[in-house]
Amino acid sequence: MNVFVIVAVFAIVFLVAVIDLMRRRVLMEQYSLFWLGMGLVLLILSIFHQWLNPLADVLKIAYPPSLLFLIGFLFLFGIMLHLTVVLSRLTMRSIRLVQELGMVKAELKTLQMQHDLTEDDRHVN
Amino acid sequence: MNDALVIIPALNEERSVADVIRSIFHSAPNVDIVVISDGSTDNTAHVARGAGAQVIELPVNLGIGGAMQTGYRYAFDKGYHFAVQIDADGQHDPADLPRLLDEARQHHGDMVLGSRYVQKTAYRSSRSRRAGMILLATLVRVAVGYPIHDTTSGYRVVNDRVIRLFSEYYPIDYPEVEVLVLLHRHKLTIHEIPVEMKERQAGVSSITMFKSGYYMLKVSLAILLEILRKGSVKGEARS
Repeated sequence: MNVFVIVAVFAIVFLVAVIDLMRRRVLMEQYSLFWLGMGLVLLILSIFHQWLNPLADVLKIAYPPSLLFLIGFLFLFGIMLHLTVVLSRLTMRSIRLVQELGMVKAELKTLQMQHDLTEDDRHVN
Repeated sequence: MNDALVIIPALNEERSVADVIRSIFHSAPNVDIVVISDGSTDNTAHVARGAGAQVIELPVNLGIGGAMQTGYRYAFDKGYHFAVQIDADGQHDPADLPRLLDEARQHHGDMVLGSRYVQKTAYRSSRSRRAGMILLATLVRVAVGYPIHDTTSGYRVVNDRVIRLFSEYYPIDYPEVEVLVLLHRHKLTIHEIPVEMKERQAGVSSITMFKSGYYMLKVSLAILLEILRKGSVKGEARS
């Protein structure tokens, strides 16, 4: 039992969970690609962890598994940045929708009042 | 329909909104008024309607930028030539409004800014507040290339070109200063004229001591980003 086995098991459980969320349409495909990518990269690198050694040497990382954590960490940065971009887009859309809804309701009220006035006229005449 | 629309964002102001509407109609009878009830839970909309304003009720609170932009979008949809922004807390005197509108009608700038600092007026403010305003004025001067004395004034009249721009983009929060640089990027001009500024009658400044750090940071960043943008950004019409 070493750290690579733990990471591999975690990556498999994680990938299964992500795919299940997609299968049940709880998670939309466009937001799952990052997670699938991260899970796959972690899984592959924990199985073929000898590939980490030369890269760790080049980067002067004494303990190769920390390279694995670094990669996971950078993925998380990417995902979080992506999420805040999505959040900004959603915010702008909901603002636009609320504005349009308010304007449509005001227009409806005006039309309703005009309609009521003409109805009243009809009753008077 | 008149050619000028006064936009008043209001959040739970059932007690003051009618007076504001009446005083504006009194000083400037030939304007229309739209009140944007920004998720109010009281009778603001009903009271404003009773006082003769058009009312747009937003189902949730959008904050000052989103509410104000609703007014600009309404002005754009209805084809108004001028839109007016005036603080509803009694700080701005509606008696100045005809003068501001005249300046706009004579094409003295795409935005006419009612300013506290162009000439000596009775307005006074704290030292830290003045320091902040000097810093913002300096940043804006660097960005637009000419001095604007009262960058945070919320007393403004804009023409149809600016209405169109604002209907497409308007900052979410603390819009006053950022908008000046936005206008400059779109080659729109700003004309400042002095107005009398009264002490706030009701409410407190939206900028408390606690928030002022965030305010300065956010506004400075917005100005720097505006400088970085150059030309048009996706989603903004070329003007």
